Amino acid sequence: MGNCQPDREAFVLAEAARSLIWQAWDEVYIIYQASSAETHVFNETTALILRSLEQGPLLAEGTRNRVEAALGLDPGELVEEDFAFALARLEELGLIDRLDPVSPVDDRR
Amino acid sequence: MIVGDLGRGEFDKRLAGPGLRVRFGPFNIRIGSPLDAFAGVAHQLYAPYPLVEENALIDFHVRIASPRGLRRWVRRQACFSLDGQSPFAPYTIEHAFPAVEWGINWCIATRAHHLLMLHSAVVERDGLAMLFPASPGDGKSTLCTALVHSGWRLLSDEFGLIRPEDGLLLPLPRLIPLKNESIEVIRRFRPEALIGPAFYNTRKGTVAHVRPPVDSVQRAAETARPRWFVFPRWIAHSPLDLQPMSKSQAFLMVASNAFNYEVLDETAYRLVAQMVAQSDCYSLCYSDLDEALAALDELSRSSRDE
Amino acid sequence: MTSSGTANRQANRLLIEAIRSPDVLTALRPDEWELLVRVARRARLLGRIDSEVRLAGVDECVPPSAAAHLRAARNVIAHRKTLVSWEVDRLLWALRGVDQPLILLKGTAYLLAGLPPERGRIFADVDLLVPEDGLGEIEERLVARGWSRIQIDPYDDRYYRVWMHEIPPLRHYERGTEIDLHHRLLPRTSRLNSDPAPLFAAAQPLANPRLRVLAPPDMVLHALVHLFLEGDPDEGLRLRDLVDVHDLLTHFSGQPGFWDQLVRKAGDLGFARPLFYGLRAAERLFATPVPREVLGGLRRVSPPWPLRAPMEKLIDLALLPGHPDHPLTRAGLARWLIYVRAHWLRMPPLLLARHLSRKTWLRFRGARKRIDLAQLDLKQQ
Repeated sequence: MGNCQPDREAFVLAEAARSLIWQAWDEVYIIYQASSAETHVFNETTALILRSLEQGPLLAEGTRNRVEAALGLDPGELVEEDFAFALARLEELGLIDRLDPVSPVDDRR
Repeated sequence: MIVGDLGRGEFDKRLAGPGLRVRFGPFNIRIGSPLDAFAGVAHQLYAPYPLVEENALIDFHVRIASPRGLRRWVRRQACFSLDGQSPFAPYTIEHAFPAVEWGINWCIATRAHHLLMLHSAVVERDGLAMLFPASPGDGKSTLCTALVHSGWRLLSDEFGLIRPEDGLLLPLPRLIPLKNESIEVIRRFRPEALIGPAFYNTRKGTVAHVRPPVDSVQRAAETARPRWFVFPRWIAHSPLDLQPMSKSQAFLMVASNAFNYEVLDETAYRLVAQMVAQSDCYSLCYSDLDEALAALDELSRSSRDE
Repeated sequence: MTSSGTANRQANRLLIEAIRSPDVLTALRPDEWELLVRVARRARLLGRIDSEVRLAGVDECVPPSAAAHLRAARNVIAHRKTLVSWEVDRLLWALRGVDQPLILLKGTAYLLAGLPPERGRIFADVDLLVPEDGLGEIEERLVARGWSRIQIDPYDDRYYRVWMHEIPPLRHYERGTEIDLHHRLLPRTSRLNSDPAPLFAAAQPLANPRLRVLAPPDMVLHALVHLFLEGDPDEGLRLRDLVDVHDLLTHFSGQPGFWDQLVRKAGDLGFARPLFYGLRAAERLFATPVPREVLGGLRRVSPPWPLRAPMEKLIDLALLPGHPDHPLTRAGLARWLIYVRAHWLRMPPLLLARHLSRKTWLRFRGARKRIDLAQLDLKQQ
């Protein structure tokens, strides 16, 4: 897995993430995933990662830019490790997939 | 007909023979036992509960009896069985009664997956229910006993049973097991409460069972709508503190304390989300029962007037 | 015949008929429903009864409280199905890039291949057959992605690794589902031929090409292996395993060459006699359509009638759950005998003696059988 350039890795919303049930209270999202019968508790950042991938695949970098914009943060303000952790966690839960490096992804989105 | 209509002779004969068929809320139970240690306590504490009608189905067939074989000669023991199988290690014979009470709860918690089962005490007034989801040791039984002897109706001390079809709470007004210091607290607080004998050195310390007020047992078919979630904690010498709680936190505490949230998948998620959304949620710290009751009364009156 | 004999026969008949000809469900009295629910639960076939009720469209005939028990069983099964198919999804994720054939076994196969035994069936773990030389890579990858070996006592761990056909189960750190990785279908110690190579050669791909299931005759033989060799001293033979066999036979019956291959492969495995007993039991209890000539051919390898009749009696006693209020000593004995016999087929005598004495010792101490409540609160059940 191309660990040398994490920002250049691309992610896509997994099938399991298309049928989530969302319940938002304050800044906490309680989400039901029917494919696994799990209930997740996500903060706003994690929820925004899922939202930003709804339109199509994105590079990690592009996803991060969108989340920062939505949160009203300056570019680069999100802690790198936290963001990488959220991506890895979403991948582990089967909500996003890492695309194989060969798949073409539009950088401009 | 209720259990109390049976004389002690007939009661013992049924227990030792075909079994006592008794109704606890939505469940019909058949209890068999040849043990005096069980029959004496059961005859007193089960008195207000209805007997199961002739043609109705029994949900759980339980039995408490001495085990066969060598062990019975070594130490007198009682073995709880469900449908002829014994899921638990034997108890000493003196603890036969708490063993059956506990065993029936276990049957319900592990089998009644047609309902969502929250781990919660539930009381009701004017058709609206107040739930106290809590881990053991937080004083939920003490508070619940105090409330049901102060104008609230008992739905259950242990189970918030929710019918998925309409989200209403089903009563399961079983005996309330008080532990250790709580027994004395309730004796002083409500001397009129009917409390069974104390069982010492059980796996949970000293246990004594409160028989719910007869009205709660008689109205076991009247459902209630969830209206308040209160998460209680008894802390010695603490001043009364009733604080609103965020819905997301309430959701997590309710879901993680349920018996079968995981089993019911999306149904459980939707039911809990809906209950939490339509209820007011609070945390309660208290040391004085009178103060706690007054605060909860006030809460129920003010939110009803809204 | 004693009254407990009568009670046991009534209980067994109710369960068998409900599966064999669900139309009888329209005519049950309330007390019969009560007994059926108890017996079906003991045999872990309550979900199957629920499925029969709905398939036959006789829901209105079910008394409400029996319906509640059926509903409860259905909810548990729906949940278990979700867990099992999700675990397979996560396995595929974890094993991306690992080029090893993955053959789904038993319930996992029925579920993902949409085969009839899946209906109303309770699912426990995920069972996979993988090549023995790929086992290390697969186990390593899974452990790196969040699964770990379940802690079992050292005797069992050694027993698994040295003698058995699978490794100790793996479990993900968050999800409770267990994964059993098999590298053959029969223990190494077995008196039967356990070379797995032909199974891999004949396996069939599913819609997802990374997954396969056994070819129909192998699948049936594996269900029979499970029935006859993986019993339990208390439960005897699991009736639900015979239901699997019945469903598979009925389903594959019409496929060209199925029966010939079944008989031939059973012969290659040295498993012709269990096949004979299994087919006879399925036919006897569930009226499974087994061609005359198949049974006729197998009869040559079966023991002569004076031996066969008591064996079949023993099999029935060990298969049928009986009445929960009237346990029969002879049924208990039959379950024990069948258990010992299953182990006889699996292990050389000295190892068997050691294993059984060890298991008996554990049983006597109650190490496995009972839950000690001191450790647990009601919630943790």
